[in-house]
Parts: sequence; C-alpha cells; structure tokens
Amino acid sequence: MKVLVPVKRVLDAYVPARVKPDHSGVVLDNVKMSMNPFCEIAVEAAIRMKEAGQAEEVILVSAGPQKSQDVIRNGLAMGADRGVLIQTDEELQPLAVAKLLKAVVEQEGPTLVLMGKQAIDGDNNQTGQILAALLGWAQATFCSKLELAGDTLTATREIDGGLEHVELALPAIATVDLRLNEPRYATLPNIMKAKKKPLAVKAPTDLGVDIAPRFKTLKVTPPPERSAGVKVASVAELVEKLRTEAKAL
Amino acid sequence: MKTHARAVVVGGGAVGVGVLYHLAKAGWSDVVLVERNELTDGSTWHAAGLLPLFNVSYSVGQLHQYSVELYKTLEAETGQDVGFHGCGNLRLARTTERMDEYKYYLSTADTIGVECHILGVDEIRSLWPLCNTEGLIGAIFHPTDGHIAPADLTMALAKGARARGAEIYRQTLVTGFGRTPTGEWIVHTDKGDITCEHVISATGNYARQTLAMVGVDIPVIPVEHQFLVTEEIPELVARKAAGLPEMPILRESDASYYMREERQGLILGPYEKGAPAWAVDGVPEGFGRELLPPDYDRLEPHIEAAINRVPVFGQVGVKDCVNGPIAYTPDGSPMIGPAYGLRNFWISEGHSFGITAAGGAGHYLANWIIDGDPGIDLLAVDSRRFGPYATRTYTTRKNEEAYEHVFILHYPHEERPACRPAKTSPAYARQDTMGAVWGQKYGWERANWFAPEGVQRRDVYSFRRGNWFPHVRAECRAMRERVGVIDMTPFTKWLVSGPGAEAYLDRLVANRLPKTIGRINLCHVLTNRGTVRSEFTIVRDAPDRFYVVHAGAAEMYDGHLLHRELPPDGSVTLENVTGRYGVLLVSGPHARDLLSRLTSADLSGAAFPWLSCRHIDIGLAPQVRAMRVSYVGELGWELHHPIEYQTHLFDALFEAGRDYGIAPVGMRAMDSLRLEKTYRALGTDLNRENSALEAGLHRFVHLNKGAFIGREALVRQQEAGLPYKLVTLKVSVNGADPLGNEPVLSNGAVIGRATSGGYAHWLDHGIALAYVRPDYAEIGTELEMAVLRERRPALVLTESPHDPDNLRLRA
Repeated sequence: MKVLVPVKRVLDAYVPARVKPDHSGVVLDNVKMSMNPFCEIAVEAAIRMKEAGQAEEVILVSAGPQKSQDVIRNGLAMGADRGVLIQTDEELQPLAVAKLLKAVVEQEGPTLVLMGKQAIDGDNNQTGQILAALLGWAQATFCSKLELAGDTLTATREIDGGLEHVELALPAIATVDLRLNEPRYATLPNIMKAKKKPLAVKAPTDLGVDIAPRFKTLKVTPPPERSAGVKVASVAELVEKLRTEAKAL
Repeated sequence: MKTHARAVVVGGGAVGVGVLYHLAKAGWSDVVLVERNELTDGSTWHAAGLLPLFNVSYSVGQLHQYSVELYKTLEAETGQDVGFHGCGNLRLARTTERMDEYKYYLSTADTIGVECHILGVDEIRSLWPLCNTEGLIGAIFHPTDGHIAPADLTMALAKGARARGAEIYRQTLVTGFGRTPTGEWIVHTDKGDITCEHVISATGNYARQTLAMVGVDIPVIPVEHQFLVTEEIPELVARKAAGLPEMPILRESDASYYMREERQGLILGPYEKGAPAWAVDGVPEGFGRELLPPDYDRLEPHIEAAINRVPVFGQVGVKDCVNGPIAYTPDGSPMIGPAYGLRNFWISEGHSFGITAAGGAGHYLANWIIDGDPGIDLLAVDSRRFGPYATRTYTTRKNEEAYEHVFILHYPHEERPACRPAKTSPAYARQDTMGAVWGQKYGWERANWFAPEGVQRRDVYSFRRGNWFPHVRAECRAMRERVGVIDMTPFTKWLVSGPGAEAYLDRLVANRLPKTIGRINLCHVLTNRGTVRSEFTIVRDAPDRFYVVHAGAAEMYDGHLLHRELPPDGSVTLENVTGRYGVLLVSGPHARDLLSRLTSADLSGAAFPWLSCRHIDIGLAPQVRAMRVSYVGELGWELHHPIEYQTHLFDALFEAGRDYGIAPVGMRAMDSLRLEKTYRALGTDLNRENSALEAGLHRFVHLNKGAFIGREALVRQQEAGLPYKLVTLKVSVNGADPLGNEPVLSNGAVIGRATSGGYAHWLDHGIALAYVRPDYAEIGTELEMAVLRERRPALVLTESPHDPDNLRLRA
C-alpha cells in the first residue's frame, strides 16, 4: 500500500508574521519557513504505518515555489521514501491544490492520503475535503487516532463536544489533528541521507491542471495593536474597573 | 519619557544595556536607553550565550575577562538569575600547529591573568567521556568560563541599571539626531525628543543605519550564523540523573565548531564557509525577532566532523536550526569608542561575540565617557581603526571572511586574502616585479618581504619561524651593510598652518615643537593619564606651518583628535595630504653616496644634519621633501615626493644604486631593524596603558615646557615612582621568536610582559621590548621569557643595542 502525504511550506510557527508595507500579503522573503505542523503530524502517521509494516511506501507531495523542496526534504529526513514537487510561483488556492493533488493521486495510485487538517498560514481547512469530493473517496477529518485493518481505516474524529469514531473503506482521505501523534525530529545523518532520496519536480501544466485563483486578495492588514494596560492601586479599584470599564462583572 | 538626560543609549541588546548599567553604576543616574522593539530583539535573543575567554588580543581578552567576572556576581546583585553555567571550555587540537596557537594564546592569558591549562588526551576523555579522542593530540581548558542565558543577562543588567536610576523606553524608535546651539545632542524619537550630553549607539544589525543619521559610515554588516539544537540525548539524561556535572563547552577548532549541552541535548554551532552577509543595504522594516531560513548544505562538513567527534550527536533528532544575523566587522573585532569626527557621540557596534563582550565593553566605554579614557588599551577595538576604504563592498566581503576565519589558525603574521589589492602606491608594480610578498594594512598593500628568484612568493606561516626568515635576514643585512629602500607611502600626512598652528600643536604634544625651520621632532600626544595616544613626526616648514607625519593606519584615529582639538576661531588650517606625497626611505651606509648621484644638493653631515629636512630636487623629481630620519637606525633620508614622480624616483634610485648593492626592503625586515634600535612601535610598545615615562620617552617629554595633555599625571607618577619600565631584552631563542604579549619572569614569577618581539637579524639573537617592574630593569639583569610556553633566558640590554650612540645615524 502506498500512502501519499501532501505537505505545505509555511512561515515558521515561531516567527512573527509581518504584513508587507503595500498590504498585499505577509513578508515571506528571507525569513524562516517550515513544514506546516499539521503536515508534520500526517508525515509521522504515515511513517509509523510504514514502520508497522502496513504501508510499503510513503510519498510526499508539495505544491509551491522551488524552496518547497526544503519541506519535502525535511519529511524525507523523517523517514518518507520519495517526494514530488509541483513547482509554481503562482498563488495557489485550496481548489487548485486539490486538483493538483487529484492528478498526483491518479499518477501514483495511493490507497490512503494523509494530510494536515489545515495549514497555519491560511487556516482554510478545505483542501482535504475538496480532494475527497473530487476523487469521490471516503474522508475522515480532524483525526486524533487512526487504525488500519485490512481494507478498513478506523478513525477517531475530534468534533465539537466530543469524539466521533468512524470506519472508512479504502481508498480514503484522512486529515489529521494535533493530538494524533508527536512528530519525530530528523537526525542529522538522516537529514544528509534525505538529500539523496528521489524528488521529482513537475509543473502544473504537466498535470493538465488550471490553477488560476478564483478569489482575489484585496488587502491584508495586521491585527490592531493592543493598547497598554493600566496599573491599579487597590482591589477596590480593580473591581470598579472590571465593573464599569471591562463590564466583566 | 524624560526630555533631558545626561546620556542616551540607543539599542536594547546586551551591549546597549551593558553600557547603561555601567554608566549608572559609575554614578550617572540620569541616563536612559531607547529600544525600537523589545529588549534583546535583533541578535541578543538568539545568541548561543557562550562566554569564551579565549582571545589572542590583549584588548579583547580583557573585555571578555571583565564580563565573565561581572556576570558571576549579577544574580547576587540584582536577584535576576542569569543562567550562568560555569562549565568551563575545552578547545581541542589535532595538530602541533594548533597546539602552538594555543601556547601563543597562553602568553596573553598569563599576562592578563586568565586561568587556562594544557590537557592531554586522557584528560579530555575524563572531562568529555562522550568525545571520541581519535586524531587529537591535546587541548586547552579554561575552567572558569562557560555560558549564560543572553536574555536573562540583559534583564539583569537592565534591572541593575534601573535600580540606580536609569530609565528604559521600549517601543521607541530613534528617527534622527540633532544638536542644540550649545552643542548638546537631541535624540529625536517617535515618542518625543531627548536632549542629552552624550549619545551611545549600540544598535547591532542597524549600526550602519544609525551612524548614517549622523553622517558617519562604519563597516558593520551582519553575517548569518546558524546553530543546531538536538532533542534530549539519553547519555546526557543519565549523566544528569547520576548527578554528574555539565561537560565543558567543546570547541574543535580544526573543524570550526562549538558544541555545548542544552537541556540534556546538544547545541552545535559551526563557523562555516560561505555564510552570507545579511541586510547589506539595511535591516528590513519591522525586523525584530525573526530568524532566517536554515541552510544545512553549508553546515554539512562541520556536522560530519561533529558526529565523528561526538557520536551521540548524530543519534538523536534536531529540534531546531537557529539562523540569525550577527553583526560583523572586517577584522571580526567590535568597534568601541568615539564616532569619527563627532563630539560626545560614542559607539559600541560590530559585536560578533556580544554576550561575552557586553560587560567589558560597557565598563570600559563608560570609563571612557566619564573619565575621558577607557583605562586599558583598546586600540584593537577602536571605533576609528577603519577608513573610507571600508566601503559597502569591501565590508561585505571582509565581514564574510572574518566569519569563516573565526576558527582558522590565527598566525601572528597572518594576512587575509579578501579585497586585495585595494590601495597601492605607484611603485607597487615595480616592487611586485621584484618579488614582493604583500600584506594589507588599512587597505594599503605593503611589501612584507621580497622573495628572491626561485623562492616561492607566498607566506608559509608558523608560530615559530615563517618561510621568509632567511630572506628577511638578507634584507636586514642589505640595510645595515649597503643601502635599502622601503616604500612608506601609506604614512598619513597633514599640513597644519595658520597663525594658531604653533599654539595648537604645542598644546597637544609632550615634546617641544621644532624651533627652527627645517627641523624635525618626534612628538607624542598623551592621554590625561599620561599614557601614549599618538605619535607624530613634526617638521617646521615656516613660522606658521608644520608638516605632520604619522602611521598610515592611524589616519582616522589621529584625524579625529586633530579635528577635535582645532581652535574654533579658524586660526588653524588642517589639510590631509596623504594622497599627495609618496614616501621612500633610502637608508644604509651608502645612502648618501647613492643620493649624491641623483641630486646636486649638499648632503653632508654639516649641511644636512640628522633630524633636519630640506626641499631638494632628486633626478627629475622637483621639491622632494628629504627628511633625515630613519626608522631602521642607519644613515638615511625619507623622501616625501610628489606622488606622480614615484615611479621615476624608484627607478632612478635602483638604477643609481646598482653599484652599491641596493635592495628593496619590506615591513618584516623594518620591524627587526627597529627593534635593534629600541624604536617603540605605536599601538604595542607605546600604548594607552603605560605612561610616556614608563615607555622611556623622557627625551621627548618636557614637563617644564608648559601645559600639555597628560602633564599632571606624569608629574604625579614621577613623584610616586614608575610601576614599569620599558626594557630591551636579548632572548636566547630556540627556533621560536617572541612576538609580543609573552610574560617576562623572574624566579618563576611574572614581573612584566613583552609588547613586541622578533629576531634581531643583525645582532643575531632573539629580541623583545617589554615592560618590567623597575627593580628588574637594570641593564644586565637576567630574566626569563616564556616563548610558546618554553622558558628562555632573557637579558636586559642597553637601550638601542645596535649603535647606541647613534653614530651611524649622524654619519
């Protein structure tokens, strides 16, 4: 069984986002970028399936600029087998990504697609769902537990107010949530070996996919700055302010 | 926010807060610091926090030593834990050359009192059981340094400063600087203006942008530095559980990396080739706490070496790769002191080892601001040591070079290759044809030595003797026996004129100015502590006009002083004529015979005595200022000529000199020759720690001439007695010559230190100039000197052991 894991290159979670002066987006030039943390969880899950003998091959796929190779290499260093980069400098929206992934699924023939529930940059939470629809596959989203048995995937979903247990017939798509696992860090020897693992580079046109954006970004603005707090002299004053200003009491 | 303060520090990293702390500690409670973002933003927050004492520079070594001692006391003083780990640090050596470097460094350590030991392989294993010792021959161990938490250190310094009245304004952006009519500074910020007496710029990555606001260009451009952090390592977890101490910081210089424990994991910090300069044209708007993309490819050779040395390092995952910008300068040392040409504007910029330097830099800069003198010699980190040649392009390339050279073997005569040649004299091409092996100082190419036909034209360095040794010896003999030529064009030259010129210069220097026209005097500018700041050769051209010559590399350092001391009434005109005149020194017993072939001027001792100057024609060159002085201590003239005649003059000298066996002579021979004459070099033998009297400059210091800078201190010192005296030592060497910084011992106890040294080729023995306690300064005193850790006999010689009565000079 092959497992396909789409991975995305995003602004590192610990780097503060700065809005470009012309409000066209966030500054991404020459700042630290990393694999989306939810994608890392999906990679970890796939590698564990391989280590458990349930999967033969873990293939990573990313769509984006040439530098997206770095996150594929990172996943290869964790233990995935090979990578595919669909290279483009164009803006990619969830529908376009899902179409690209559909084309890759058709070429590679995986039985399972494991992916992050969302990426921490756009927080769209759409790509997995759209891909499932385009392929007509079963899907389980927000998974905090996954078990494979024969042709069946059992998933525990984190939903409002509790957990949902579902069974999916393979082939299927699962999008993973934070509590599924704790991804490993790659060791340095593996980081260096990862450079020699196969990584195919394709263009969207090779896959015959139209990636033209359907939405237009009008303006990106930073959240309003927090105004400075005030020091209160006494408990009485605090209570007073909570009552009259904060209206919390 | 205050609108007035005594001093405003710009920049809230460890370095800026370190200055604020020391100003406040010295009693200046009315001081403030402004920071554009938050304290530690920029570079402090991502620093690895190492506190290496290892540094071959006497200046930098003392900064670091002060810091480490201070940091140990900060928690007790402020209550803020600074995360000080006194785990020590272990530097490994694979080769004897590397051990020689360590031994050379140990001289400095011994003279400034830093504890450091040489260890064998067994001791390495017991200190670092996880280290594979294959291929190692030894190490040096500093038991007293370690590492610290940079952010906590900054907060502790801030707390200590605030407790003494200092105020810190965060989220406050400096938008410009202005001056009040009375000369105070106005710091414009986005929160309002602060008027103050002193400004201190400690802005890290922003240094060039900050200084550009006051019209000063400084060569500080950051370079990317990465370090890797691993997750927990079972062996380290077990060590901790067993109550074992943290292992020392490990540095494998020959593989160019450091490694230390961090939360039972390891940090690896390589200094790799190809690390790029960052933000060459300014820091991106809003940059505060960002990191840069990691680049593992560059690190690969270092990672492999580290895994080989410490196998467990490769067995666990890498949690993080921190790539952040660190300020750099072309020579890798920080810039501390006054901003060129400005009064009361100070800088502490270009700190690549800012955490280690912050305490010491803050302390000595605060001294400098408050007392007018740092208290130790800081020439190696002086803020005015680079000139206009340090352009954006030069700085970018040299700073990248400085970064990748952090761990290379630093030979004492090392010349670095980037940005060469930059400044050349017209005779460069001629000397190049003659086999010159070049060095670079202050951007100038200077011939260090000349390789005869068939000899490889490059330096093969050693801590003992370089490949140039026999060739330098031949140059020395040519100078002493025949006649030699040294290109000294890089000298800085000024014309000082006007009705106020005499009074202006006289007040500056300790010597009397030359009285008669055409006389030459060697004059020193002292500090207010009576130590030696500058050295000028002054010629009187006319009653109201002087020609002033000094070291090429001191152009900005001395230019700052000359401009600052100008009287405001416009009665003195100061003109830098460095580029207008070339200088060729022609010296040796045949110098007069040779020059007589090229000029009709009377060069006899009666008509043209020692220490006089005439304008004469030589060959086709008109109006050559011939100065009868010689830094090599032979009959000779410095020919200061119109630069456009240099090639002609050079050719004419060598053509006419063929019969006399004329030879081109380089800087290394000059250094040997001047040591034989006990001619003190500025910056080493003459420095800001030893007074002019200690340096034995009595002939050039006239305490009764009237007021000059430093006079009172000298009078006091003369009454109290001198703590040290400069002596010339004959060192019985054994294949390795003294280089300066070696400890001088008597009965095993350190009683002084060498400030320069080498081999006296003419006298044929090792030689050193050293400051020793006065009771050891008598001629004939038998002492010892540790040369590369080997104790060698050292005998106090008479001053100027070669030609002590100057008979050759006066011939």
